[in-house]
Amino acid sequence: MYIIVEDDPSVADALESLLSGAGLPVRVFASAEELIHSAALTADDTMIVDLGLPGMSGGELVRHLEKAGANPKVIAISGKSSRTIARETEGLSDLKILRKPPSADWLEAITA
Amino acid sequence: MGEQEDRRTAVSEARFESLLDTAADGIIVIDDTGRMLVFNKICERLFGYTAQEAIGQNVSLIMPPEFSMSHDRFMSNYHRTGERRIIGIGREVSGMHRDGTVFPLELSVGEAKTADGRQYIGVLRDLRSRRAVEQRVSQLQAQVVHMTRLSAMDEMGAAMAHELNQPLTALLLYLQAVARQVKACHADGKPPSDKMLDVLDKSVQEAERASHIVQRMRQMVEKRDPERATVDLREVVNEALDLSEFVAQGATVTIRRVFGMTPIHVDADATQIQQIILNLLRNALEVAKESEERWVKVSIGSDDRSAFVSVTDSGPGFSEDVGKSLFRTFSTTKKSGMGLGLAISRAIAQNHGGDLMADPGGNGQGATFTLMLPMHRPDDAEDDTWG
Repeated sequence: MYIIVEDDPSVADALESLLSGAGLPVRVFASAEELIHSAALTADDTMIVDLGLPGMSGGELVRHLEKAGANPKVIAISGKSSRTIARETEGLSDLKILRKPPSADWLEAITA
Repeated sequence: MGEQEDRRTAVSEARFESLLDTAADGIIVIDDTGRMLVFNKICERLFGYTAQEAIGQNVSLIMPPEFSMSHDRFMSNYHRTGERRIIGIGREVSGMHRDGTVFPLELSVGEAKTADGRQYIGVLRDLRSRRAVEQRVSQLQAQVVHMTRLSAMDEMGAAMAHELNQPLTALLLYLQAVARQVKACHADGKPPSDKMLDVLDKSVQEAERASHIVQRMRQMVEKRDPERATVDLREVVNEALDLSEFVAQGATVTIRRVFGMTPIHVDADATQIQQIILNLLRNALEVAKESEERWVKVSIGSDDRSAFVSVTDSGPGFSEDVGKSLFRTFSTTKKSGMGLGLAISRAIAQNHGGDLMADPGGNGQGATFTLMLPMHRPDDAEDDTWG
């Protein structure tokens, strides 16, 4: 299952179109809190998370999931500067980062 | 009694001498014809004459010629009318050193009636150090203004990058999605589905969202209350260059100013024009810094319709491709990202009825950016051209 956590509805919808268009199973959440309340992730899942979520940030969500023992594959997306991204993902291992706006095919990057 | 009196006088004179020489201010005593009777140590330093040289001469010796002419007239006027122009009041005047240097002085004058007639005591304070402080303060203020202007442009750039990111991301992802589906349909020999048209519609919406953001920014630039006035372009540009030179103190790039003698009047918001000039200058200085000759030339000219400000650097110029994309909002050849600055600058110029043009140079020629503004026409000054 592919899990999208993105507060911008257009970006979330576009991402969903891209993944579901390729026949992949997708669920969309608008916030970290919404995801935590309604879904449990496993190591088989891939979570695509915006680092700049309002409320619990993307980085905090990843830390929270690690602590809870869920180990999905994580792809972080962000429109911020590389320095900010480095700060927000400090201490997080095994994290693929995709920067907004996309400069390459994201489907390939996500499913690789 | 005579002997005692002489001794008392001698003691009093000795005290007076030592007072004169320890005073922190210049002290001069003149008689009612303007002849100097006392010229203390500080005066020797201030004016470059020894007391021996000065005493006995007219006080006009230490004034710039334009003041010395009127001094005699002031004195005789005072003697005739008793009207006080300076005595007991004090004012700022100009003094002149032996070497011709004219400098500001604060002068207070007292009057003494003596057995030898009226005498005037002048106390002089050199104002140059105070001036230097004042100048420094105003320079720092200018620097703050300059920084504020530049950072406003940078902040706008950062804000726009942030805002444009979301619609552009969505747009590109929709297009990636639809491109994949088109390819898949094509491979299966099927016609495009409604779903694909739906995704295309959405991508158009996202493109519109991005363009609304750009329009909003344009309004910020254009709809700011214009403070248009008829100004001499040379003065406006000069001020911008002074600001920039001050901030770049110690920099190794020479700024050459090629200005004509006649005023060039344009109807413009001086602050906005200075923003453009500062922006062009910052680009040019950055390029020139890396070049061998290290200069930036700023020239101003006009024909009967338009005024021009050109900024040329000693750099290598840029390729035609770069030239074409220069004014695109985020394009830049440098890390600091001045592409947005150029786009805003051009928007400001066009809003003034002018334009901003780039000559890429190359083959040993540096790049030239030219700001064009319509000349002020006295006839239609009240015309509602700016709507």
